[in-house]
Amino acid sequence: MNISLHWLKDYVNLDGISTEDIVDKLTMAGLEVEDYTDQNKKYSTLVVGKVKNVNKHPNADRLTVCSVFDGKEDLQIVCGAPNVKAGQIVALASVGVFIPKANFKIEKAKIRGVESFGMICAEDELELSDDHSGIMVLNDDLVPGTLLNEALQLNDVLLDIAITPNRPDALSHIGVARDAAAIFNRDLKLPKIDLNESQKEAKDYASIEIEDKINCPRYTAKVVTNLTIKESPEWLKNKLKSIGLRPINNVVDVTNFVAMELGQPLHAFDLDLLAKKKIIIKSTETKKKFTTLDSKERELDKHTLMICDGEKEVAIAGVMGGENSEVAESTKNILIESAYFNPKSIRKTSRKLQLVTDSSYRFERGTDPSNTLYASQRAAQLISEVAGGEVAKDHIDIYPSRIKNKEIIIRFQRIKKILGFDVPKTEVVKIFNRLGINIIKDLSDSLEVVVPTYRPDIEREVDLIEEVARIYGYNKIPAVSKIGITMEKRDDESLFTDEVRNCAVMMGLKEILNNPLISEFLAKITGKPIKISNPQSRDMAYLRTSLTIAALQTVANNINKGEKDLSLFEIGNVFNTTNENLKSFGDISEKRKLLLLLTGKKDERSWNTDEKSYDFYDLKGLVNSFFSKFSLDNLLNDTYNSSEKSIYEYYFSKNFNDDVVAVGGKVSKNALDLFDIEQDVYSFEIDLDKIFEIKTEKRKYTEPLKYPKINRDFAFIFNKSVTYEVVTNFILEQSSGILKEVEIFDIFESKDLGEDSKSMAFSLEYFDYNKTLTDEEVENDFKNLIKKITEKFNAILRGN
Amino acid sequence: MLFEEIDRVKQDFDQDIKEADSDKKLELIRIKYLSRKGLVTQLFGQLKSVPKADKPSVGKKLNSLRQEITAAFNNLKLKYGGDDKVSSAAIDLTLPGSKYKTGSKHLLIQTLDEIKNIFKGMGFSVYEGPELESDFYNFEALNFPPDHPARDMQDTFFVSDDFVLRTHTTPVQIRIMEKLKPPVRGIMPGRVYRNEAISARSFCMFHQVDGIYVDTDVTFAELKGTLVSFAKQFYGTDLKYRFRPSYFPFTEPSAEMDITCYICKGKGCRVCKKTGWLEILGCGMVDPNVFKHVDYDSEKYTGYAFGMGIERIAMLKYGIDDIRMFFENDHRFLKQF
Repeated sequence: MNISLHWLKDYVNLDGISTEDIVDKLTMAGLEVEDYTDQNKKYSTLVVGKVKNVNKHPNADRLTVCSVFDGKEDLQIVCGAPNVKAGQIVALASVGVFIPKANFKIEKAKIRGVESFGMICAEDELELSDDHSGIMVLNDDLVPGTLLNEALQLNDVLLDIAITPNRPDALSHIGVARDAAAIFNRDLKLPKIDLNESQKEAKDYASIEIEDKINCPRYTAKVVTNLTIKESPEWLKNKLKSIGLRPINNVVDVTNFVAMELGQPLHAFDLDLLAKKKIIIKSTETKKKFTTLDSKERELDKHTLMICDGEKEVAIAGVMGGENSEVAESTKNILIESAYFNPKSIRKTSRKLQLVTDSSYRFERGTDPSNTLYASQRAAQLISEVAGGEVAKDHIDIYPSRIKNKEIIIRFQRIKKILGFDVPKTEVVKIFNRLGINIIKDLSDSLEVVVPTYRPDIEREVDLIEEVARIYGYNKIPAVSKIGITMEKRDDESLFTDEVRNCAVMMGLKEILNNPLISEFLAKITGKPIKISNPQSRDMAYLRTSLTIAALQTVANNINKGEKDLSLFEIGNVFNTTNENLKSFGDISEKRKLLLLLTGKKDERSWNTDEKSYDFYDLKGLVNSFFSKFSLDNLLNDTYNSSEKSIYEYYFSKNFNDDVVAVGGKVSKNALDLFDIEQDVYSFEIDLDKIFEIKTEKRKYTEPLKYPKINRDFAFIFNKSVTYEVVTNFILEQSSGILKEVEIFDIFESKDLGEDSKSMAFSLEYFDYNKTLTDEEVENDFKNLIKKITEKFNAILRGN
Repeated sequence: MLFEEIDRVKQDFDQDIKEADSDKKLELIRIKYLSRKGLVTQLFGQLKSVPKADKPSVGKKLNSLRQEITAAFNNLKLKYGGDDKVSSAAIDLTLPGSKYKTGSKHLLIQTLDEIKNIFKGMGFSVYEGPELESDFYNFEALNFPPDHPARDMQDTFFVSDDFVLRTHTTPVQIRIMEKLKPPVRGIMPGRVYRNEAISARSFCMFHQVDGIYVDTDVTFAELKGTLVSFAKQFYGTDLKYRFRPSYFPFTEPSAEMDITCYICKGKGCRVCKKTGWLEILGCGMVDPNVFKHVDYDSEKYTGYAFGMGIERIAMLKYGIDDIRMFFENDHRFLKQF
């Protein structure tokens, strides 16, 4: 909300209070001043100048070289404005002056070879209006050298106040003045109504009927006849301009002025365009089209509250008037509407039409139902002042069921319970008086009060407590220096995720966080995605169904920036649905996953290491380390390439019983092509919700082995189709039990071995938990294994 | 007799060791005293012929001689030993070390951890909730009636009529109060979504920490004390602060907490929009309408709640001027933290 301090001071005397203090105190009472402009400061750097002569620029047709007198000397200025003429009085910015709109400082410059020592300003450059058609020409009687703020009386302070949605009363100058009066303990002065009314009564000119009483509880109208539509006087135009509103004509300007003064939106109808001189307020029964006064045709929904005349719709109630009844130059007689509409109804219409106006903004937050008559009288008075004409006697005011003021009891003990300290009763009484909250009963330990209708936000005792705290000052509430802490067990639901994260960090991975909103195409590759009803763009219209797909974009972006070697992890949620139309949580699957991702070089080329790229086994090792860290390695089994549809060229899964809890591998070329990634990427996703369920809570100490280990190695030539896993399992099965570990330490193929053969070398580790093994025991087992392997796989023992 | 010999050997050794200034000389000393045929060993050999009664005392003296000599020798051995075995010229110590990859938490998570630790220290539990949330939890139970302008305060992504991407972590407050009876004291960190145009200052998602404390005697004064303590622990003890009235549907009274801008120290700069203050969080006393939804008796119980955005805090703390940096995952950014 833009508030002019000059305008504000029409209603409350703030003499002797500095701007800084006003800004600070309003902010500290909940009317947050986000920004403010002190025109005096802003415009005192510019001066009034006189254009002495204007010559053509030697090198540019559209430029002129002017000589401008700044009160002391003549400055040469190159000017591009078409309307510059010798003898004009202008706004002059000389070297060193900051131009707010363009955000630059004037410097001595050479423009097409001619030196220039300043700028003659246009209105938009000074943020006085949007006008950039030419330089601003000032009144002839201004003396060159006068500071611009003095010459144009630009000495207002403009406040930009962020009004919270609960405070519709503060969406006007009088509303803010009311709070200022309470804060600074000054009197609020409301404009007096002094109408010179004609003999004929308003009800003789028009009639009003409310059909939809729920959505229009009150409708008040005044009639003004024989007026003349013309430009508003300077004072009115300046008031509107000061808060950024564009003057239109005297009648419209008055309605806007009163809206910004009192917070009551008004609308003026051309009375002669109202069929049967009738106003009917009702909701549409069917969908229909309607052209608003901005000449746009709008689609109205069923049940849209409309203002109609005897034949047709003439305005969308509370939102915008119609083109068909708009006040125009030819208008002679008007009907001023000042109504109270149901906030919910206006909000629905405004949202449906995606049309937010100053009027709808105020109505949907709640205007003051008690204020419609006063506002219409205020408007009628001002219109008769600026547009002439006669104000018809009395008014039409339909108010079938009066909206009652709320009566609330506030207990002092409750103030203490909420705020933590006692606010003296005298203070509470003073605050209520200043805010217009009437005390009707003083019950010593409590007060019964009546809340004015302009404060729809005050409904309960606690709302009154906030008013007390707000005006008394939040900063006067003490901050306790000790708190009590419960001895009960505390929860930390983020503990497991944190453990997982720490583990990933320990393994040398860097954490990333990706945007879960991705395109339909990508989301559908890895699941049944959930659609955003109102996405920002097609690229962000669905929720991710896997972490890998979204992370590939991160990989691609990094590769483009030359960061090709990445070892990353992400912890995040993925979303799937079982039912397109989400009705209950049962239709949603939201799961927390861990992504491990490797790409590029594992080791860079260096003086003591060879370059090595990440491969499948790096990923597998990483995954296994992760699971062993959580003591899950023995609970899970691996399967390989177990399903057809996958984003992986080859992959493996970790399963608990038959349930897949994690899966990943080498990302397929097709998937990488989508992101123009040309290097191999290995990724793995772990379902953390499932892991959390199966992980064992207790880790126990195992005593380190007391007896020595004995190692034996052997190598065999196998047929190529024999896998490591099959051989290892066979060895463990066949051993007498003293064999505890089998590790493969070499594998190779060569021409010498033959096309279908490969060599695998194993290292065996023997030990017993309870005794020292003898060489004989080991040797027997070892020899037996050699025999069994040779027989079973038709393998050839190497090296012997 | 042997006593005197022991003393003499000790004196000789003390003399010899004083002159030992190289590994070579040390080796001669070792041979003279500590080798198999050295003086100390010889002395031990003579122990046999000592009368039985004197044995313990002589033995003790011998042992301490051996300990002293060994200790003095070892000391110098560390100093001179090996000085001509590995010459520093044989290995180029200036060569770069091998490369090790270090892992790291995302900067936002690091910031969140810091916040979490502070509140855990003040007795708060940590709770989580879903990102895809029902309209009831995200809005209605938090006193945002349907068709109320307060809903405009948070631009919402809808996935159906009844479900939204949560716009704040506040719904977790409802979930926890549904589950537990007072006292309830916890923080709720998590990811939230807003349908705001993506720019340097806003993103379609970000992270929040919400907090709540409900008990029989929770007051605004305690809210202030707790949050001031948090701010001092996080931002430094010399901080100035202010609480300013604001509006949130789920708290009454509501406030926003500002701290002195630590970029300009309160003088006014671009970051604090020339006000000298930085808003760091929203807070207030839990609205009785919220208690109604979770069946808490608002006459008996009072509570406070607060919420803050992690991105904003991290941006200010680390001088990051574009929120998108957090989600671009530029490896050069990740490596910095």
